[in-house]
Amino acid sequence: MAESFLDRASTVAPPLFNRFLVPPAALAVHLSIGQAYAFSTFNLPLTKLIGITHQSPEDWGATEVGWTFSIAIAILGLSAALFGHWVERVGPRKAMFTAALCFGGGFIVAAVGLHFHALWMLYLGYGVLGGCGLGIGYISPVSTLIKWFPDRPGMATGMAIMGFGGGALIAAPLSVTLMDHFRTATSNGVVETFATMGVIYFFFMMVGVLSVRVPAPDWKPAGWTPSVKPQRLVTQSDVLVGQAWRTPQFWLLWGILCMNVSAGIGVLGQASPMIQEIFSGRVTPAAAAGFVGLLSLFNMAGRFFWAAASDYLGRRNTYLVFFLLGIVLYSTVPSVGRLGSIPLFVTAFAIIISMYGGGFATIPAYLRDMFGTLNVGAIHGRLLTAWAVAGVVGPQLFTYIRKFQIDQGVAKTQAYSVTMYIMCGLLFLGFLCDISMRPVAARFHFKPVGDAA
Amino acid sequence: MKLRLLMLWLVVTLPLVWGVYKTLLNAMKLFN
Repeated sequence: MAESFLDRASTVAPPLFNRFLVPPAALAVHLSIGQAYAFSTFNLPLTKLIGITHQSPEDWGATEVGWTFSIAIAILGLSAALFGHWVERVGPRKAMFTAALCFGGGFIVAAVGLHFHALWMLYLGYGVLGGCGLGIGYISPVSTLIKWFPDRPGMATGMAIMGFGGGALIAAPLSVTLMDHFRTATSNGVVETFATMGVIYFFFMMVGVLSVRVPAPDWKPAGWTPSVKPQRLVTQSDVLVGQAWRTPQFWLLWGILCMNVSAGIGVLGQASPMIQEIFSGRVTPAAAAGFVGLLSLFNMAGRFFWAAASDYLGRRNTYLVFFLLGIVLYSTVPSVGRLGSIPLFVTAFAIIISMYGGGFATIPAYLRDMFGTLNVGAIHGRLLTAWAVAGVVGPQLFTYIRKFQIDQGVAKTQAYSVTMYIMCGLLFLGFLCDISMRPVAARFHFKPVGDAA
Repeated sequence: MKLRLLMLWLVVTLPLVWGVYKTLLNAMKLFN
């Protein structure tokens, strides 16, 4: 059968290929799909598709629109878990192309749905199709980067996953600019913005599709030799995806990711009202929006900084820093709030959110340390179900505890104190998972045919 | 190869720099 341009075999890099051409390919995909974090810029305009300047009775409600993002994130976790093995098999180029079709096409289907005011088409387009693009796109460059940078796996995957955080920084102003551009007396510009973004993201992701390469099987960075000194928590063996999820290490890592994400994601969702309520009368809505922007920057920067630092600190130690420093910072936030120090409050949350991003970016390298490189992309895909769970648990816990406190008569300025201590509890559970980490038992290691002892 | 490397990095970093700039402008409101 003729070899396709998209096949893995067509993407094997020639000798002397510069490996630093691969991170921008991964970034092109992650910067695009990171748009998902900025979906909230559409929340209000989507409830005014008919009324244009106001919400008419025929318009969708905020809850109905809010489901679109939830469906997309749930499908992200599911598709990453389901298609992870396929992504490993077909290689990054076909996977990235599929992600570009799903993500760009999802926007177009959603735009058609918005045009006909069909909510199910918005769910199908952005939620289901776009969600598949998110999941496949998220995992597609990870194992390739780990293979290109065996000497710095944390830095390499951190660079790509930083793109997912950075994608929101691009998408938020882009969406607003496009909606302003397309706004007329008869349209609020959302339909045209969705269609335009679908085309832009498809072509931007194609930059990654066209430039991604996989290393030849025997390739090694020039002058680099694998460490001969055995490291307890860095395996020299491989574990297949079907075996990996049977190991306690997989579930410990699942717990680590789930707890780290749960503790951070609630803050991200409620950052604006939280700072306004804790510093009542001192922080305006515009300043609170600035706080959200600042957190987005630290979310992005933390992904690269912490993942790169993990190459030196070690993966387990990096997560120990996340959990212990996170507990210290969360437990001091109520006192900082009582002191009325906005700079200290902002600094504490900037560090917390940098570690939230760092948790996402360091996990692929941690997986590689525990399970080897052979199936790391597929295993990463399955681990992302922890994100889907945390995406539901974290925000619900955060808002429920705050509401419960207020219902009990606690002042709004004090209503977040208990929430912060609960976040400390989640981080402590993550800490327990991290310190329990041990090397994977040899019985789970992959033994190639003819290599059996 | 060097030109390709430069072009590729520019293509991905320019939108990111624009996004960071816009976000920083927004973030400055916190300190005003």
